[in-house]
Amino acid sequence: MFREMGLVNSPTPSGQDDATLLALVERGDEFAMAALFDRYSKIVYSVALRVLRDPASAEDVLQEVFMQIWRSPERFVASRGSLGGWLAVVTRNRSIDLLRRKKPSEPVDDMVMASNYNLANEAERNSLMEKAKAVIVQLPMEQRKTLEMAFFDGLTHSEIAEMTGDPLGTVKTRIRSALSSLRKALTV
Amino acid sequence: MSDERRITSEELALYAMQLLSKEEMAELAAAVAQSEEARRELAEIQGDLAAYAVTADMHTPPAVTRERLLKQVARERKAIPIDLPAMGEIRTAEQETRERGGSVLSESAVGPSAGESEAYYRSAREVGSRDYLEEETKAPRGMVGKVLPWIGWAVAAGLAVVTGNLYHQRDDMRSAAATQASQLDHLTADAAAAREVLDTMTDNSAMRVTLTTKGATPPQPTGRATYVASKGALIFLASNLVALEPAKTYELWLIPAGEGQNPIPAGMFRPDARGNASVIMPRLPKGVEAKAFGVTVEAEGGSATPTMPIVLVGE
Repeated sequence: MFREMGLVNSPTPSGQDDATLLALVERGDEFAMAALFDRYSKIVYSVALRVLRDPASAEDVLQEVFMQIWRSPERFVASRGSLGGWLAVVTRNRSIDLLRRKKPSEPVDDMVMASNYNLANEAERNSLMEKAKAVIVQLPMEQRKTLEMAFFDGLTHSEIAEMTGDPLGTVKTRIRSALSSLRKALTV
Repeated sequence: MSDERRITSEELALYAMQLLSKEEMAELAAAVAQSEEARRELAEIQGDLAAYAVTADMHTPPAVTRERLLKQVARERKAIPIDLPAMGEIRTAEQETRERGGSVLSESAVGPSAGESEAYYRSAREVGSRDYLEEETKAPRGMVGKVLPWIGWAVAAGLAVVTGNLYHQRDDMRSAAATQASQLDHLTADAAAAREVLDTMTDNSAMRVTLTTKGATPPQPTGRATYVASKGALIFLASNLVALEPAKTYELWLIPAGEGQNPIPAGMFRPDARGNASVIMPRLPKGVEAKAFGVTVEAEGGSATPTMPIVLVGE
């Protein structure tokens, strides 16, 4: 209330780290929620749009993912990885569920993520995006396509095998190899 | 990893992306739960996926999404719990009152001094407890006595289950309500956009221009009908129409495909000063395939059957 009235000279929510913002959200701070939205809405919307290819549906997922944070901020535990990375993967999973017209298949708080990327920092975020894109572009075409079909299109390995005519084992190996290459390149 | 079920990295990647069948997901979840190594590798893969996710081309969401979210957040404003002082703090406050010479009602009524109060309270609690224990030992514990406490526990357990169910139901309903509110926002926006299109098309003051090749002969009366048979939806726009006598009107007709079917009246219209007119979504039966559309001139009020000649026709 006092902040609303401008009587408290505390740092603006947008300058605070994710953990602090989440703690504020847990206490019902709408400014903190807005700050989180400003920080991560672009990632969430872009991932949803990439999967769903429909702005209206991507907006729905954006709304749903952030409302989930508002309703249950405690679901994200800092030790499980970076909030930005977690949001990106949760958004992808929710979008794929929507694409398949099914209910969320997994409680999101079950996900643990080993990630040192600080997506809260815009410079670091942009740097990671650039690096990751550069790695992906350099992957063999088959690996790149297979990972794209699995992650962004939500196709199962059997569906990919059927579409590409490749054996199931090859599809699995390509996905794994692509992710390994990404990890290696980003941890150097 | 478990000796019984060796989990490969390939499987973990598919598991992380939720691309396995329900049974395979359950099987792997169980296996992952058993293996520290698998959990570590899974976490690494989730990290890889997060890095891969951000390779999507970045787009800024429309400004309205922020507004929409914050409205929804305001609708679901949280009740912030009030931090109650700990019992120790309450006791300290009591002590302070006493030290200041004030009194606590129970003390002043019963009589112990401030210094004796602690002993008094302890003694009172002990007496009460002892009495209760004595009563309990004295009470005959028949069948009812043995069963009664269990009934209490059973009722408590039942209530806990019911409360849990109610909590989940409330959570589900809240989530459903939020989704519906969000859909409603979307529909409202869509309806507003549709309304705007319709208003523009039917606005009498709108400027309507038919473009032709420069220097061509003066444009002839024309009409353009857009019709979706399955929905019975029709939009008709006409231009360069000849002005009518006051007691006359143009009438649009849908001529059904197939033999022996009568033309269906699809709305009357009079052109404006520049010869423009429109018929937007007249009441028509659904599923009628059209062979052609025609326009006739009728007496004011329209006609049940077209009066010849047909002034405009299109197939």
